[in-house]
Amino acid sequence: MLLHGRLSELCIFLQAMFVFACCFSDIESGPIATSGSVQPNGDRFKLEGRAIVPGVKTQDWISSARVTVEGEEYIGFMRTDGSFVVNDVPSGSYVVEVISPGYKFEAVRVDITSKGKMRARLVNFIKTSEVIRQPYPLQLRSSGPHTYFMKRETWGWTDFLMNPMVLMMVLPLLIIVLLPKVVNTNDPEMRKEMEQSMNMLNPNPELPDVSEFMTKLFSGSKSSSNKAVGGSKASGRPAVKRR
Amino acid sequence: MKPPAKMSKPTSLFVIFFSLFIMSEAVFEDQVGKFDWRQQYVGKTLFAHFDSHSQSSNKLFLATDKNIFASFNSRTGDLLWRHVDKVGPEGTIDILVLHGQDALMVVGGGRLLRSWDTNMGGLNWEAVLDTGSFQAACFVAIQDTVKHVAVLKKAAISLHYLTNGHQKWVENLPDSDTVQYQAVYSGGEVEVYVLGVVPNSHLTIIAYSLEDGEIIKQRSVEAPWLSSVESSCVVIGQGVLMCVDPATLALYTLPIQAEEAPQFNQILLQVTPVQPRLEVSLGFQPVLVSSQPHPARSPISEFFLQLGPDHHVLLQLNADGYTIAALRDFQPAFLVSFATTGEKTVAVVMTPKNETLYVHAFLKKDDSVDYRVLVQTQDHALTFIQQPGRVVWTREEALADVVTMEMVDLPLTGTQAELEGEFGKKADGLFPMVLKRLSSQVILLQAWLAHLWKLFYEARKPHGQVKNEVTIETLSRDEFNLQKMMVMVTASGKLFGIDSKSGSILWKHYLENVQPNAVFKLIVQRTTAHFPHPPQCTLLIKDKDTGLASLHVFNPIFGRKSHIAPPALPRPILQSLLLPVIDQDYAKVLLLVDDQYKVTAFPSTKNVLQQLQEMASSIFFYLIRSDQGNLSGFRLRKDLSTERIWEVVLPTEVQKIVAVNGKRPNEHVHSQGRVMGDRSVLYKYLNPNLLAVVTESTDAHPERAFVGVFLVDGVTGRIIHEAVQRKARGPVHFVHSENWVVYEYWNTKSRRNEFSVLELFEGTELYNSTVFSSLDRPHLPQVLQQTYIFPSPITTMEATLTEKGITSRHLLVGLPSGAILSLPKMFLDPRRPEVVTEHSREENLIPYAPEMPIRTEWFINYNQTVARVKGIYTAPSGLESTCLVVAYGLDIYQTRVYPSKQFDVLKDDYDYVLISSVLFALFFATMISKRLAQVKLLNRAWR
Repeated sequence: MLLHGRLSELCIFLQAMFVFACCFSDIESGPIATSGSVQPNGDRFKLEGRAIVPGVKTQDWISSARVTVEGEEYIGFMRTDGSFVVNDVPSGSYVVEVISPGYKFEAVRVDITSKGKMRARLVNFIKTSEVIRQPYPLQLRSSGPHTYFMKRETWGWTDFLMNPMVLMMVLPLLIIVLLPKVVNTNDPEMRKEMEQSMNMLNPNPELPDVSEFMTKLFSGSKSSSNKAVGGSKASGRPAVKRR
Repeated sequence: MKPPAKMSKPTSLFVIFFSLFIMSEAVFEDQVGKFDWRQQYVGKTLFAHFDSHSQSSNKLFLATDKNIFASFNSRTGDLLWRHVDKVGPEGTIDILVLHGQDALMVVGGGRLLRSWDTNMGGLNWEAVLDTGSFQAACFVAIQDTVKHVAVLKKAAISLHYLTNGHQKWVENLPDSDTVQYQAVYSGGEVEVYVLGVVPNSHLTIIAYSLEDGEIIKQRSVEAPWLSSVESSCVVIGQGVLMCVDPATLALYTLPIQAEEAPQFNQILLQVTPVQPRLEVSLGFQPVLVSSQPHPARSPISEFFLQLGPDHHVLLQLNADGYTIAALRDFQPAFLVSFATTGEKTVAVVMTPKNETLYVHAFLKKDDSVDYRVLVQTQDHALTFIQQPGRVVWTREEALADVVTMEMVDLPLTGTQAELEGEFGKKADGLFPMVLKRLSSQVILLQAWLAHLWKLFYEARKPHGQVKNEVTIETLSRDEFNLQKMMVMVTASGKLFGIDSKSGSILWKHYLENVQPNAVFKLIVQRTTAHFPHPPQCTLLIKDKDTGLASLHVFNPIFGRKSHIAPPALPRPILQSLLLPVIDQDYAKVLLLVDDQYKVTAFPSTKNVLQQLQEMASSIFFYLIRSDQGNLSGFRLRKDLSTERIWEVVLPTEVQKIVAVNGKRPNEHVHSQGRVMGDRSVLYKYLNPNLLAVVTESTDAHPERAFVGVFLVDGVTGRIIHEAVQRKARGPVHFVHSENWVVYEYWNTKSRRNEFSVLELFEGTELYNSTVFSSLDRPHLPQVLQQTYIFPSPITTMEATLTEKGITSRHLLVGLPSGAILSLPKMFLDPRRPEVVTEHSREENLIPYAPEMPIRTEWFINYNQTVARVKGIYTAPSGLESTCLVVAYGLDIYQTRVYPSKQFDVLKDDYDYVLISSVLFALFFATMISKRLAQVKLLNRAWR
């Protein structure tokens, strides 16, 4: 099992090496998408692209959006048609991002050579030299609005039935009734596995983090007081947490 | 294939478990605006324009010193949209001009020319200008239509199309090394005039053809008295240049379009036929103010001449172009401006008391003359005034640059103080105690009844009228101490007291004579806990260049200056420290160390000095000289002189000290150690004197750059730990708390941001469990470190803080997008295992993953982004679960966070109805079943 893991790791490593080598050659001789227009002030280039939010008019989102290159190193603004240009960018490799409080955009890494040749690729912070090409001039399509909020749990009968508390009461019953008929409990391997799964279910009460301990204590007392009441919603949620 | 699958099962379960645990952190949608608020600011106005495109428009466009172009609703003062450009000279707005729907802007000292669609708030186009510092810009019109914009640089003039920003032509200016070109003028003809000056010699006028940029004519006029066109000349009437000479007190006129060898025509102010006689105030440089209402037409022939700081005269150039007539004399008048609509022009004069700077006037209705005025005052307040002098709104733009802040508890009300007093006093017999108890209960009952009555009374009123105005008088501490007073210090020297619950400004105080480069330190010397004594805050204002400091002592609740006289500080101050020593009035003692290492105490009563003498041997402090790479520790002597006891030198040729940070003095650590999987305890190294010193290499080459972190004991100077991050550079953001330091830097090799965490442990045994002494700790702590990739740059970082330190900690990370990420400290734990074991699972350690997640659910400010977050302030509340957070930068955002969820109060969605209905149902069920059982028993007995 362990050997297998090692082997797969090695494989990944080799793959990474391969990709690394690939991209090296790519920089030297690979086909370059578009050449950036050289600007009058020396070796400064301009970065172009277009952002689209499907189904939303541009005037509804462009006034609060902007383009950042490598944090706030260089800043560009959205044109009324959703396209953008960041001027005065020297050669280098940059993460380009369209920032909007309403809509989500993927960041793109743009490499600019000293001659002004450009290419765009996916951002990968772990394998930094991996190249998955993206179109240049950039085409950024929003994947929808940001999800900032959690959904409130609403109460319904299905929730009650699917409540872990209720399930926990029903399932053991089923197990007690059905399991002896299905599984041969004398099998030692099976027993070992069951022990393991039991350990999973009951984590040790001496938790290192005091706050978690507190929440556990609190929810524990609440759920025990509510147990008499029956698996209500309030007692249901702490149970989720405890698992 | 089976074994690996089996292995992965527990891990995946584990991840689910944690994600469940942490998911619950986020804000619920119905909580929006319940206990959080945001205020948006733009900074001090440089250029302001009213939208005159349509008559009914209520828009206002501002360009500010914070490199922001913003649009406001002029009726309410609300921000419609805003574009935040880069900080620093690359984003500065040189000029903003408005034509119809287009706003034209030159940015970054003549770097870019931008055109905005003011209706949508989007960019029309952006054009790169040639290098050269920006001088002036103006619209150019032919036959009543504005089609071009001319941009004058130090050595070139260029003409751009308004529709797409393309350059029509660019021409080099002749003799640009001797002639200073300062103004460009177009009066609707086919020529563009450029005005340049050779100081104290002559004036140069060049006319360019609009079509191809050819020089049509070039004139040179003798003007030995003229030093600058910009400050002393304006164009009025039919292209007449009017200049003022402060030395001879004369006005000079010159027709720009004149053909052969033009000459200045002199009008001496003293001998003008105008009445009253025009006299310039002593030592005042007269200023001319004119107006060109439309770029296609020539300027109006009326103009203002400022003769003194508060004296303006409205003059008119006669049709002959040589003589002037006085229309009206205004004294006192500090500010003047013109506004035109259609054929009518309004001249606005304003006489505020101590206010200076901006007036923008404008005409509204077609027939009746109506105007609105925007005033920018010295203390960075922006006021909008309607015609009869009514203030419509005021914006406190000083808050766009908050430097430091503190949160102060609100005072107790009379009844609350009474109740508190009952427990504080010594017992004086059983019977009086019972009486006192009863009386306080009666007071409570009264208060409760009054509250009920108020509720009832307000419920009967229509909904709109119920508005709880917060005033200083009604302020009192709430049940859980969640409402506090935010004392904010701004860079302009204006102090604010803001109610943390509503965000309303309760008091403001403008400190005059504060240097623009001053540094501030706000110290709470006495809290509200000592009832008869008012709370006391001290603001240390230090001039960055000279180091000379002054103190401003005030009451943080009311903002009033205290009667206590602060000590005079004749020498530059190096360090200030707040001691836990209190004087007889319960004020903490502030020690100030000057450049001769002498110590000044404030307050310095006899009592304090005596206490200081007793404690002197245990008072240590440190000084940093980052320019010398020197970190030194000092001890106080009995006679209040100091002695150097240690010194650490970090050679400045290799690295420079970027930041030094101790722990927060009001931080509590609840647990002394961590229980590990095998039931042993790993004790934390909790040294209260520990300093984290961050250095950056002076060599900026990506291969050789490094970031160093030193942990130094502030008392002994012992270096506890040293960590060097190679191939890394700043800016380094770090948090030092409890037994850990978290820092963030830029990895130059992999071009990514990385977080690194250092945790210090004493080991499985404590050396001295009762008290920590830096002088008696023979063993160095064990240091654990782990590093993670963070997929975004950050702007600031702070840790949450709670009353007793029981709640788990979160890191609050400000991102450039304006979001504030609440990152559980659990993710930054150097004991996160690479391979999951039995023990690590019992400890609830998350398996190591190189990349840190950023999830939008963890953004505590959802879409309420805070632009340019500069600092995050955290303060504990009365509830252990709750931490108050204020993020400030360009905007101010206040909220509460619950790092371990709200474990000490019922959640706000707690379902009372369900619980009570279930209770009642069960109650009736037992009643019924009891009855049934009785019946059954009875039946059985009969059988």
